Amino acid sequence: MMRHAFKLFHVWVWGSTFLLLAATGTVIGFLLVRGWAGIGQELVFGETPVLAALMLQRPVFDGLFPAMVGTLALVMLSVGMALPVGLATGIYLAEYATGRLSSLLSLFFDILAGMPSIVVGLFGFSITIFLHHRFSGKIYPCLFISALSLAVLVLPYLIRTTQAALEAIPVDLRLIGPSLGATRFQNIFHVLVPHSLKSILSGILLAIGRCAEDTAVIMLTGVVVSAGIPKSIWGNFEALPFYIYYVSAQYTDAGELTRGYGAAIILLLLCAFLFGISFWLQHRLSQRMFERV
Amino acid sequence: MTRSEFLAKHGFMAAAIISAAVTLAIFIFMALLGYPILTSGRLFAALLGAWQPTLQSYGILPMITGTFILAILAVAAAFPVCLGCAALVSDAAPGLVGRFLHAVVRMMTGIPTVVYGFVGIFVLVPLMREVFGRGSGFSLLTAALMLALLVSPTMILLFCDSFRRVTHSYRQAAAALGATTAQQFLYVVLPQARNGILAGVLLGLGRALGDTMIALMLAGNAVAFPDHLFDSARTLTAHIALIIAADFDSPEFRTLFLCGLTLYVLTTLLVLGVRLTMRLPGRRP
Amino acid sequence: MLHNSLKMLLILFLLIPLLLFASMPTSHADPLAAFEGMKGEIKISGGTAHIPVMKAAAKAIMTANPEVRISIAGGGSGVGIKQVGEGLVDIGNSGRQPTEGEVSKYGLKMFKWAIDGVAVVVHPKNGVTALTQAQLKEIFSGKISNWQRLGGPDKAINLYDRDAASGTRDVFWKKALDKGEVTDKANVVVSNGAMKAAISNDPYGIGYVSVGHIDDSVRAVALDGVVPTLESVVKGFYPVARGLFSNTKGDPDPLTQAFLDYLFSPAGQAIVRDSGFIPVK
Repeated sequence: MMRHAFKLFHVWVWGSTFLLLAATGTVIGFLLVRGWAGIGQELVFGETPVLAALMLQRPVFDGLFPAMVGTLALVMLSVGMALPVGLATGIYLAEYATGRLSSLLSLFFDILAGMPSIVVGLFGFSITIFLHHRFSGKIYPCLFISALSLAVLVLPYLIRTTQAALEAIPVDLRLIGPSLGATRFQNIFHVLVPHSLKSILSGILLAIGRCAEDTAVIMLTGVVVSAGIPKSIWGNFEALPFYIYYVSAQYTDAGELTRGYGAAIILLLLCAFLFGISFWLQHRLSQRMFERV
Repeated sequence: MTRSEFLAKHGFMAAAIISAAVTLAIFIFMALLGYPILTSGRLFAALLGAWQPTLQSYGILPMITGTFILAILAVAAAFPVCLGCAALVSDAAPGLVGRFLHAVVRMMTGIPTVVYGFVGIFVLVPLMREVFGRGSGFSLLTAALMLALLVSPTMILLFCDSFRRVTHSYRQAAAALGATTAQQFLYVVLPQARNGILAGVLLGLGRALGDTMIALMLAGNAVAFPDHLFDSARTLTAHIALIIAADFDSPEFRTLFLCGLTLYVLTTLLVLGVRLTMRLPGRRP
Repeated sequence: MLHNSLKMLLILFLLIPLLLFASMPTSHADPLAAFEGMKGEIKISGGTAHIPVMKAAAKAIMTANPEVRISIAGGGSGVGIKQVGEGLVDIGNSGRQPTEGEVSKYGLKMFKWAIDGVAVVVHPKNGVTALTQAQLKEIFSGKISNWQRLGGPDKAINLYDRDAASGTRDVFWKKALDKGEVTDKANVVVSNGAMKAAISNDPYGIGYVSVGHIDDSVRAVALDGVVPTLESVVKGFYPVARGLFSNTKGDPDPLTQAFLDYLFSPAGQAIVRDSGFIPVK
């Protein structure tokens, strides 16, 4: 009788995995089936000639190009803002902070990590209102505010991966610098951080992915249906995930719906691409390390 | 300490303080902007009442209920599947297959929620409507199923991690006594990883509570208290997304910050809960 | 000699009026010409019904003059009025006339460029094609909850309502439901497009949408005997009608004025017509 119970174990584990993979496969497969036909120049650039669009000479209508540029701008701005602060905080936690302070800070960052994205968006929106009423009436939800809010969203990822990467460095490596007379900072800057670059980079890639795919935050802080290429960080912008949301709920014709599928595929490809880079980096860098030794 | 050392240390500390300040700032802003509700004595009415603007009732209890039911349902549905999958990836599958599956699961964590919601509208909603014959297809159950799919990869990775930490020698001991993979897993790994599993569940719960897009696109957004699983319902997160457009000075708008505060408090409680699992008897997760 | 001079004079007499006539501005001057040499940004938000028209107009204007940027957001009529009043956008669209309170609080100027109706819609395969107002009120309040009572199959009625900021909802509630109660069990969707998507995918659903948005994917239901079409709205037979407004805070600046002029121009009104609304001109 027990044997049957244990046979069930194998049914359970393989069955669960199969179920999960099948469900995920359905999601991705559905998009590919419905959207593949629509992929092409027209999906991205509409009727505008490619070169003119890329040179920013002519605006693109009914195409994903503005949303893609918007997402790109958003990612660069927000990761650019979050990176120095996140990296420095992670270094502080791993190298300088001790005991209760470390524990307290860790708690804060865990809370930040678990924060629902819409609350972060609401935070960004509240900052906008606050600044609008107190300082300049010219401040509205815009690219800058969205990037700032996204930076807050991904900050914990950067902090955590930096901290974990530094804490994982074996003791004998840590002692190399000081044993040669390096100060603490010199040790961090010249030995520890370069050694953990691989993990830190994967943290950065994680942050990039998160910024590219988030919808809730940007919905409250400045993304709009139609705005063209973002010309300034104080203006409105478009973004891929919002486009997908908008089209899914409010497509006006079959063409728009197909574009929505196409946008979803592009977003998935972007995430897969980031994941691929992360994989390759790990493989490549660990090989390098191996060779050096 | 040299000058640059001093600057470096305080530079890093400043960054850490900024980061911590941001976390607090979120709470402060929510409280600041939701101030009218918090102090006017209408707090209980807001928290415990129903949402009926025509009757001047701006209670968010239906939304709180919706959030809880959805999150619990999603994690409950995901749990057995995630546990099984994690068992396979870390123990039951032969080496290469296990590593491959682990990579696949890692890749799945990158699928954006808006994509799940998008597919849900066109695949799951009609399916639920036809299969169950009740409701419009936009319901708590529909959203819960998709949400379960969303949180699964994260939960699986966390479970895998905690399985991996079970001391290898325990496994070896069991194997030496003649235990099969199944027996090893059920009698040795699982009990040892209990705390880690709990932590994983809590984190999955947190993710499910905080999701906006799936709830917004698939749960129907009705303001009534959900009576049963096939009812359309609204979560706190979807409510924020829907009401953000309301007039600044209206009481409806203020309830948004109350929603934000509630979510903040819930998140904090979950994080503290996870920390507590580290203190429970047994292996550290 | 004289012969030639006479010929020349004659030609001149014929040519000059012709030239004068050709150089006079015609009543159908190119409305896009007004944008020549202009640059700047126009921010638009508000009613979701207006969006197709806004997008088409923006496309025409931005193609003619790439220095002009037009950004369009949705949000609903309430959002449009609030945002333009707060100075967050240049044009706030609304699918209902701003109330006196709103006009005085924000100092709004209203521009109505189309007429539209709000129609009850169901799935094309739904057999129910006509309802009375009394029935409609009972459906939306939840009293009638099964299609069987209306002669349809034994299935629960799935109600779809709009969000609170919606002008479409406001008009529907006031004119079609006569301010009747709407059950809180109704699904809530966020725009006309979303309503259409929901109804076209749900065989047992019922909702309401701007007449301009109706196409083959949904079917309009006659109310008290009147089928909602553009004609019945224009002629006044169908009572649930509304104007599509673009509102500005005070007098619009030159760029915004040019945009509004474009909407009222023949080209703009043609866009209105193509989008399924009734042009005011």
